[in-house]
Amino acid sequence: MDLLSNTVALSRMQFALTAIFHMLWPVLTTGMAIYLVIVEGLWLKTRNPDYYRHARFWSKLYVLNFGIGVASGLPMEFQFGTNWAPFSEAVGDFFGSILGFEGAMAFMLEAGFLGIMLFGWGRVHPVIHYLATIMVAFGANLSTFWILVANSWLQSPAGGEMVNGKFMVSDYFQAIANPFMVKSVSHMFFATLETSLFVIGGISAWYILNNRQQAFFSQSLKIVLAAAIAVTPLQIYIGHLSAEQVAHYQPTKLAAMEAKWDTSPAGQPADWSLLAIPSETTQTNKWEITIPNGLGYILEFKKNLSEPVLGLKEWAPSDRPRMVGLIYYAFRIMSGIGFFLAGLMLWSVLQWLLGNLSTEKIGQQTWLLRTWIFAAPLGYIAVESGWIVRCVGRQPWTLYGQIRTADAASQLPASNVLTSLTLFAVVYSILFVATLYFGSRIIRQGPNLELPVPGLDNQTAVETEPATFVPDQRPLEAQQ
Amino acid sequence: MDALVHFLPQVWFVILALFLFLYVMLDGFDLGVGILSLTSSDEERRSLLMTSLGNIWDANETWLVLMGGALFGAFPLAYGTILSALYIPIFMMIFGLIFRAVAFEFREHSQRKLLWNFAFGAGSFLAALGQGFALGSVIEGIAVDEAGHFIGSTWDWLDWRSLLVALTLIQGYVLIGSTYLILKTEGDLQKTHFRTAKLAAITTVIGAILITIATPIVYEAVRTRLFSPPLVYVFAVIPVLGVVLVGLLLRSLNQEEEVTPFIWTILIFLLTFIGLGLIVFPYIIPTQITIYQAAASPSALVFMLTFIGVLIPIMLFYNIYNYVVFRGKVAGSAYGE
Repeated sequence: MDLLSNTVALSRMQFALTAIFHMLWPVLTTGMAIYLVIVEGLWLKTRNPDYYRHARFWSKLYVLNFGIGVASGLPMEFQFGTNWAPFSEAVGDFFGSILGFEGAMAFMLEAGFLGIMLFGWGRVHPVIHYLATIMVAFGANLSTFWILVANSWLQSPAGGEMVNGKFMVSDYFQAIANPFMVKSVSHMFFATLETSLFVIGGISAWYILNNRQQAFFSQSLKIVLAAAIAVTPLQIYIGHLSAEQVAHYQPTKLAAMEAKWDTSPAGQPADWSLLAIPSETTQTNKWEITIPNGLGYILEFKKNLSEPVLGLKEWAPSDRPRMVGLIYYAFRIMSGIGFFLAGLMLWSVLQWLLGNLSTEKIGQQTWLLRTWIFAAPLGYIAVESGWIVRCVGRQPWTLYGQIRTADAASQLPASNVLTSLTLFAVVYSILFVATLYFGSRIIRQGPNLELPVPGLDNQTAVETEPATFVPDQRPLEAQQ
Repeated sequence: MDALVHFLPQVWFVILALFLFLYVMLDGFDLGVGILSLTSSDEERRSLLMTSLGNIWDANETWLVLMGGALFGAFPLAYGTILSALYIPIFMMIFGLIFRAVAFEFREHSQRKLLWNFAFGAGSFLAALGQGFALGSVIEGIAVDEAGHFIGSTWDWLDWRSLLVALTLIQGYVLIGSTYLILKTEGDLQKTHFRTAKLAAITTVIGAILITIATPIVYEAVRTRLFSPPLVYVFAVIPVLGVVLVGLLLRSLNQEEEVTPFIWTILIFLLTFIGLGLIVFPYIIPTQITIYQAAASPSALVFMLTFIGVLIPIMLFYNIYNYVVFRGKVAGSAYGE
C-alpha cells in the first residue's frame, strides 16, 4: 500500500493537516472574545480609559487571528464534500444540518457584528458597540458548541440508526444531546478560554519583564489570573469526566490512551503506565515505568477496578486504533499541560496574596514572569494533543462503530489529493509563520496609551462619516 | 405526506438559491473590487479599495459558508457528488478565497505591500475563476450513475463552455465591483470606475448572449424544456427585461449617477439568477438528479427549516444594519488609529 497512491490515507492526512493548522486561530479568538467582552464591560462600568485601551490593543491581535481563522476554516467545511462524499451522503441528514446551523447561527452572527466591533468605534454609541462585541463572542462560542455537537455525535452516535448505509435520524434532539456532547462542549469551551488566558497572560508578562507599561499590563495579567483561578482546576475536572466517558463508550480509545495491551479484570487493582514505548508489532510495551495500583485511582479514585479495563488485544487489529504511541503520548502531553497551568495559577495566586504582584514589585518576579511567557503556547499544544487523542483514537471509525474511515472517503485520483495536500502544507505553513511574524510586530509596537477615548455621555456617536481620505500613516516601501 | 415530500425540497431549493444569490451579489462585488485592484498601480487608491471592503468582506463570504452547510444538510447526495466531481475548481476557489482573506489582515501590518496587494487581486481572480468553472460545469451537467454518484473524470469540468461561463462571471463581478466603487468613492477614483463599469457591462452582456445561444444549441435537454410551455413564456420575457435593464444601466453610467448603476446591476444579477434557477429546476444536478432524489429525509428538512428558516430574516436584518452603519463614502485608514 504505497502512501502516495492511497487516496484514503491522503484525504485523512489532508483533513488532519488542515484541522491542526486551522485550530490554531479560532482557539485564540474564541477565548479572547470573552476577554474583550470583560475589558469593554469594565470600561463601560468604571470609565477607566485603560480598559478601553486594552480593548483596542488586544483586538488588534484578535482580528489578525480572526481573519486567518476564517481563511483557513473554509476548506474544513468543503472537504466533507470533496474528499468524504460517501460519508456526507450517509450522514447528511444530521451532520450536514448541524454544519448548516453553525453557519446560520454562529458564523453569520460573528461576521455580521465583527465590522462594527473593529471599525465601529465612533460610528455607533458605546453601548451598541458593546452589544456588537458580545454578539461576536456569543457567535464564536456558539460555533464551538455546534462543532462539538457534530464531532461528539461522530464519537457516540445517537438518535437513530443505520438503514441501508444511511443514518436515519428518529430523534434530532437525542442526536444533539448525544452521550459525549455536554462534556465535550464544556472541555472545548474551557480549552479555548484557558489557551487565550495564558496567551494574554504570557504577552502581558513579557511587557512587564521588559519594563514596558508595567501598570497597564499588570491589569491584564490580573484579569487573566482571576479567571484562571476558576478555569484551570475546572478544566482538569472536566478532562477527568471526559476520560471516564471514553472508558465507558470507547474502550478501544482508552486502551490506546493507556497503551494497555492486556485486560485488567474487575475487582482487582491494576498498574498505571506513566511512560512507555508501545510496540504494535509485538503488542507489548518494550519499556515502561508504571505506578503500582494506579489505574483504579485514576479512573475511579479507588484501588480496585469496579469494571474490567479491556486491553487492545481484545480486538482484531483492524478494529482498533493504530499509532498507539501517538495517542498515548498526546494524552500525557495534554494532561501534563493541564496540571502545569493549574500549578502556575497557584504559584501566581500565592504571590498575589503576598502582595508581590503590585505594580511596584511585579517587575521583580522574574521567574514567575518567565514561566508565564513559557506557558503562552502550551494551551495550543494541549488542544492539538487532545484532538489527536480524540480523532486518531476514534479510528478505524469515522462514525464510531458504524462507518469505517476507509468506506467514508471519495474515490478520487490520488494525484488530486496529493496536489491539494501539498498546497495546503505550503500555504498553511506560510500563514503560520506570517501570523507569528505580524503578531510579534503588533506586540513589539505595543498599545497606544494616548488613544483618545470616545465620549460615553453623548447620545450621538463622536464622529460620523469622516469626509476626506486620510492616507495610511505607516511607511510604504511599496509605494510607486 | 406526498405533497410534503415535494414541497420541502422545493422550499430548500429556493432557500439555497437565495443564499447563493446573496453570496454572488455581495461577495461578487468584493471579488470584483479585488480583480479591479490588479489594474491599479497607485498604492493610495488600492488602499482605499481594500478599505471599502474591510468591514464587510467577511460577512459577505459567510453566505457561501452558509450555503455549503445548508446544501450538505438539505441535499447531502448533491453536496458529495458535486464537490467531489469539481475537486479542482472547488479548491481553486478555496485557495483564492484564502489568499484574498489573508491579504486583508497581513497587508495592514506589512511594509511589503506589493506581495499582499497581489494576494488580494490574484486571490479574488482565482476564486472567481473557480466559481465560474464550477457554475459552468453544474449547468452543463455532471456524469453520474443511477445512484447519483460521480463517474466522470477529474478534468470533465474544463471545456470551452465552462470557460465561457467563468469569463462571463468574472466580467459580471467586475461590473458589480465597479458600480459598488462608484457608490463608495469620489473624484478620480469614481470616474475610473464609471469607465470600467461601462466596459464590463458590455463584455458581460456579450458573454451572457453567447451563453444563452450556446446552451440550448449544445444541450438537447435544455432545448426541449426551454421551447415548451410554461418555460417558453418565461424565457420570452427574461431577455426583454434584460435588454431594458442593461439599457437603464448604461444610461445611468452615462449620466454619472452614483447609486442607480449598483441597483440596476443587482437587478440584472437577480434576473440572470431567476433564469438560471428556472432552467435548473427541478434538478440539482442537471439533468440527472432531481432535488427530490437528492433531498435529505423530510424530518431533516423540517428540522433545518425550524432553525435556519427562522434565522433568515434576523440574519438579513443585522447584515443590513451593518451596511447602514458604514454607509457613505469610504475614507481613511480602516482601524481609525
